[in-house]
Amino acid sequence: MNPPASGPVEHARNVLHQVVDPELGLDIVDLGLVYAIRPEAGGIVVEMTLTTPGCPVSESLPAEALAALQEALDVPVSVEVVWQPPWTPDRIDPVAATALGLRR
Amino acid sequence: MSAVSVSPPPGPAAVGGLPATSVAPPPTVPLTFLGVAGIGLTAFGVAAVAVAGHAAVAPTAPTVVATVHLAMLGFLASAVLGALHQFCPVVGGRPLRSVGAARLTAVVWAPAVAALVAGFASGHPGVVSTAGVCAFSALVLAAWNLSGPLSTRGRGAPLTGLRWAVGLLVATGAFGAVYAFDRHTGWFVLQPHRVLAHAHLGLLGALGLTYIAVAEKLWPMFLLAHPPGRSPGDGAVRLVPAGVVLLVPGLLLPVRGLAIAGGGVVAAGLAAHLASLAAFLRHRRRRLELLHAFVLAGAVFLVGAAGLGAAAGLAPVSTLWRARLVSAEVIALAGWLGLAVVGHAHKIVPFIGYTALRARGVSRHPDGAPLLFGHLYDARLARAALAGTAGGFGALVAGILAASSALLGVGGVALAATGVVATANLALGPVAVLRSAHRPPSGGPVIEGVPL
Repeated sequence: MNPPASGPVEHARNVLHQVVDPELGLDIVDLGLVYAIRPEAGGIVVEMTLTTPGCPVSESLPAEALAALQEALDVPVSVEVVWQPPWTPDRIDPVAATALGLRR
Repeated sequence: MSAVSVSPPPGPAAVGGLPATSVAPPPTVPLTFLGVAGIGLTAFGVAAVAVAGHAAVAPTAPTVVATVHLAMLGFLASAVLGALHQFCPVVGGRPLRSVGAARLTAVVWAPAVAALVAGFASGHPGVVSTAGVCAFSALVLAAWNLSGPLSTRGRGAPLTGLRWAVGLLVATGAFGAVYAFDRHTGWFVLQPHRVLAHAHLGLLGALGLTYIAVAEKLWPMFLLAHPPGRSPGDGAVRLVPAGVVLLVPGLLLPVRGLAIAGGGVVAAGLAAHLASLAAFLRHRRRRLELLHAFVLAGAVFLVGAAGLGAAAGLAPVSTLWRARLVSAEVIALAGWLGLAVVGHAHKIVPFIGYTALRARGVSRHPDGAPLLFGHLYDARLARAALAGTAGGFGALVAGILAASSALLGVGGVALAATGVVATANLALGPVAVLRSAHRPPSGGPVIEGVPL
């Protein structure tokens, strides 16, 4: 019996919760950087963006996400960095934002 | 199908491309310059204590000139060179032309500055001119190296400002080399207005403009702020160099009207820089933290410097007071940049340290939590560095205005202590995490899984 379609996707989402922006102390899912996680051709494709194009910290996160996914999943994975729609702080998870004391 | 793919970022102001690890230089490049800057700040503080007795009454005494060069070259310019080698590739999206050349720049720069300062202090013009040529050569090498990433097109205000800043940095070095040889050969009298031209070219056109340009890149990240519309910083990176190009010849020749006009344009550029800071603060999503205190304290020094400069240029005061006002203005500008350097070092150095630790497989703090920048330095010592930098430069400004050797001495002690504390705090934090990460729960240390 095959696992439910959401199985590997949810697994990937849980893995991505472990990838933390070292400046903000917030994971990339709660930060609102992960736009999509979808099964494709037997693997997992993650679409994510960055808080600020050109931010060296931000730009290290896709590679960290890929490494974490590769370690945790048995299927091929790819991480695509996209710029549309642009990220804004409004995408931060409200609960996490409140916990961090971020202004709304 | 295991890869990271990056689509081109949108818009002319955006910066992107491959992950930064592909364009940023090895951590040792910026860290070397920043380490030199830490030593430079400490040495400047010690030297300020040593000359406190006569700095206010004899600002052109050889030991005072040596002390000033310790601040400008040993501390500020070293830090700015580190920042340029780190940020030009990141902003331009292209690597340096040569990492080896960057290392050579540092290897030539640090001893050249030390020799220059020693030459001034000991009264050996030959040493001064030789060291000046070596330091200028290091700047030319740096400019060639940085021209690779700076040749990128369509990267917005930060790149525009950095191009001007690097060009004016080379011009400052060329001025310095000419002045150094002039001390040796006596081509012309090195009058105060010519020295002022040099100081303003370096402080505003090279060092200050570098900060103004880089801030437009850093503040959105550090304040988590995305102000709508065009940033006033776009105007700042154009107005400041345009004003400097007028101000410096106006001081050099001297042509009072030209100097005043240039000063006015510079003031407009600095006002735009402060307006940009205000916009980022207004739209910030993060709580105010230590870095913001450094930035705000620096802004106070900048406003103070503008007021002192305006008073020196426009107010009907005696020659003695004009000299004091100008000297205080130069120190206030150094305070503005010094606070920026020390404050941003508490962001940049942990980032570089974090990257290096991750490359060594360290992803967690010894307590098991994900590794964060905040783990890589002691916050209490960082707050002490803020107090020491602001208090130190504040005491120097007050000491010059009041002709008080006691205040100058206090400022020197504060800055020397800050240099030691900040450098040790930022250098030892990552080392402590690395040691803890490689230490097994019991028994001896382990590196790469192999017990020693």
